[in-house]
Amino acid sequence: MPIYLYIDHGSVVHRLNPTVKVFALFVMFWSVYWVDHPLALLPLGALMIVLAQLTGAWPNFYRLRWLFILLIFFTTLAWMVFYRKGPALIDTPIIHLSRASLTFGLGRGLKLAELLATSVLFLSTTKVEEFTAGLARIGVPYRVGFAITLAFRLAPLFIDSALTVVQAQSLRGYDFNRGGPLERVKRYVPVVVPVFMGALRKANNMAMALEARGFGMSAMPTSYIDFPIRPRDRVAYALLIGLAAIYFLIYWTGYGSISAK
Amino acid sequence: MKPRGPHQALAAPDAREAPGAIGVAVEQGTAHPAAALDDVTFTYAGGDRAALSHVTFALGAGEMIGVMGASGAGKSTLVKCLNRIVPAFEDGAFSGVVRIGGRVLGDERVCDAAPIVGMVFQDFEAQLFSTNAAHEIAFAMEQVGMPREEIAARIAPALAAVGLIGFDDRDPTSLSGGEKQRLAIAAVLALRPAVVALDEPTTDLDPEGKAEVFALIRRMRSDGLSLVVIEHEAEELRGCDRIVILREGEIIVHGAPAEVMTRLDLLEDCGVHPPDLNRVLSLLGIAAHAASIDEAEALIRARYTNLPARGASIDSGGAPALADPLAAPTDDRASAPPIVAVRDLSFAYPYGPRVLDGVSLTIAAGEFVAIIGQNGSGKTTLAKHLVGLLAPAAGTIMIDGRDRAALRPAETAATVGYVFQNPDHQIFAATVADEVAFGPRNFGLDAAEIARRSDEVLRAVNLDTLGDRDPFLLSKGERQRLAVASVLALRPRMLILDEPTTGLDYREQRRMMALVGDLNRAGIAIVMITHTPWLVAEYARRVVLMRHGRVTFDGAVRTFLARDDLLAGSSFRAPEATALGRRFGVVALGPAELAAWIKGRA
Repeated sequence: MPIYLYIDHGSVVHRLNPTVKVFALFVMFWSVYWVDHPLALLPLGALMIVLAQLTGAWPNFYRLRWLFILLIFFTTLAWMVFYRKGPALIDTPIIHLSRASLTFGLGRGLKLAELLATSVLFLSTTKVEEFTAGLARIGVPYRVGFAITLAFRLAPLFIDSALTVVQAQSLRGYDFNRGGPLERVKRYVPVVVPVFMGALRKANNMAMALEARGFGMSAMPTSYIDFPIRPRDRVAYALLIGLAAIYFLIYWTGYGSISAK
Repeated sequence: MKPRGPHQALAAPDAREAPGAIGVAVEQGTAHPAAALDDVTFTYAGGDRAALSHVTFALGAGEMIGVMGASGAGKSTLVKCLNRIVPAFEDGAFSGVVRIGGRVLGDERVCDAAPIVGMVFQDFEAQLFSTNAAHEIAFAMEQVGMPREEIAARIAPALAAVGLIGFDDRDPTSLSGGEKQRLAIAAVLALRPAVVALDEPTTDLDPEGKAEVFALIRRMRSDGLSLVVIEHEAEELRGCDRIVILREGEIIVHGAPAEVMTRLDLLEDCGVHPPDLNRVLSLLGIAAHAASIDEAEALIRARYTNLPARGASIDSGGAPALADPLAAPTDDRASAPPIVAVRDLSFAYPYGPRVLDGVSLTIAAGEFVAIIGQNGSGKTTLAKHLVGLLAPAAGTIMIDGRDRAALRPAETAATVGYVFQNPDHQIFAATVADEVAFGPRNFGLDAAEIARRSDEVLRAVNLDTLGDRDPFLLSKGERQRLAVASVLALRPRMLILDEPTTGLDYREQRRMMALVGDLNRAGIAIVMITHTPWLVAEYARRVVLMRHGRVTFDGAVRTFLARDDLLAGSSFRAPEATALGRRFGVVALGPAELAAWIKGRA
């Protein structure tokens, strides 16, 4: 099973300049940020579906399907507890189900799901080396950019390690789901300790290997890959700026907010 | 050509460049050794003794030195001095002088030494950072500030040098273990360092991967690189110019392979696996060193003239000569009802290829089964199905006559125990005793029973005096035995051990296997996933060979080792004692058995 999200599909999105992709990440976050209403978020969702199809990123969405479902479901449910506006369809001391709370909760759930989907699309189409180069191009110091991208490289390794530890402890009869919420958190100690110790060891080995391969010798290393700005990148920039402007206008005119409806 | 990094002071001396040659060659016309340690002592912060003590050592230009010794003897510390990981990266007290090509390494950073000293580590996962092989090789060259055109020009030769032509776009995580380690070597060689140090580069590899890496090391040597190689298996280092053996931080033996490898007691005493060939010769009273199976055969035939001609008693079908008592199959599958019965098991990960394809096998009480096969052949996936960590896409698994699908992993654990390859994936408790008590406590046993079981299993694994110790302060071998103890505390009737000896020195491996053998004699069925040929030959009685998710052989170890057709396609190499025995028409499972058989013929 691949441990990275990158899928070498060779689509036009894959071939975009990494700086464009970092900018796209920013624009998508920007657009999602300004609007709250599910209807305003739907076009972005549709765009992401088109991009997932275009970039062949569906296997990654499949891998994370439960995360998306749980994110939308529980966020919607949570806002029925805290968002107590509008005429109630069902009103209990805990749950306040109204058209307004449902809309608001669904909007929040979609927002989080779209932020996650944007990240999945970005990582499905961008190699970590491109990410580093893209960050360097927008002025992020090389070491900082490398540290950020290294975190992306290491996360799957640590997740893999955590899953192995969970398996090892469950085979010793350990039940992670016993007790209340606090007890359940405590019950993850037998996972956290081995994963943490393993992570320390792995990080130390990796730091040695990095330095042994010259990391740190130059503050601004050269780059094997060249990223010229091509016409398609300019088109992408224009489309992204347009999208960012449209979503800011939606916010500015109030159409993206719940209260406007 | 010199790297054009910002730190020219440590750039490699003028180097020979030849198309297809591996790395930089010897420093021509210089009297300096390629690398030298002069009276180096290093004590890790908090260490109770010096990890290296007054070590003086010189690596001649174009020379290859093998470094051996038990875990903790100071091998890694020694090679890490060559590129200043010690002391720059490790806290501790350092004294002495390190020279590379005659230049004294002073306060340089580790990265400054990269262009002249390449370092390959045991953990290949931790030294591959990139999303494809070309980027991986480019990484070090980017760091030293090499121009893009030159980086591009060096990638293809580096891949060619390690036999990975056409792998430019391959994701390193998709490579086999041997390919990953060869890629790590290519990434180091791209800078064309004068010295390359390899710290147990084949520990985690299957026999095929190991053979690939050692073939590459031999080629690096013939291309004139100066090499230091740490290895536990002495037979892999026969091609070295010299061998250094460390014990408790001191060099206790330093000499040519022929000189060192005949000192069998010393090798064993230092945690090194003595070569099978030398052991056979020694047991036969032949005081000589054999650098190959051919040489050993000639030496033995010169002394024992009545031995059968080559291949005489192995028939064309590949079966051993059954008339020979040694060759009789030792598969003693009991007639007892099976603990595990697998039928037509198939499995694939989502979006992945089929990992298991119609696997059927049964394992009965008291059996000792080795599951072997290439990395990725489905061994661990099969084992995880047996304990309920994975659910089959098709087929059934019965545990003690009950459908495993109806059992939770914790319920299966009471019958089938699973010891993971890395003991650190399960150790978390504050003391050894608590770690062992964890499992029984989860099963709700009372305190008296938990204490009784803890005492029992800690005695079984020889850790009974360390019950109050912090598990993280134990040696790797002790942690591995603790992992076995903590699974044994659930009193399973079958134990699955995934690579139980990885990362252990020879002494620890023997201790671990003695424990496993004792457990098996006590009636526990053992299923051992392993790549180590001598473990299979000397301890297992049945082999299950897996290839591309299928069982391609299931039978007695001796029958398996007699079948060239199976060995050829299995990525498994028969131990040298077995290969030597085959020259005389017998399938021996170890040096002692072969020597006894030869003496019996005299």
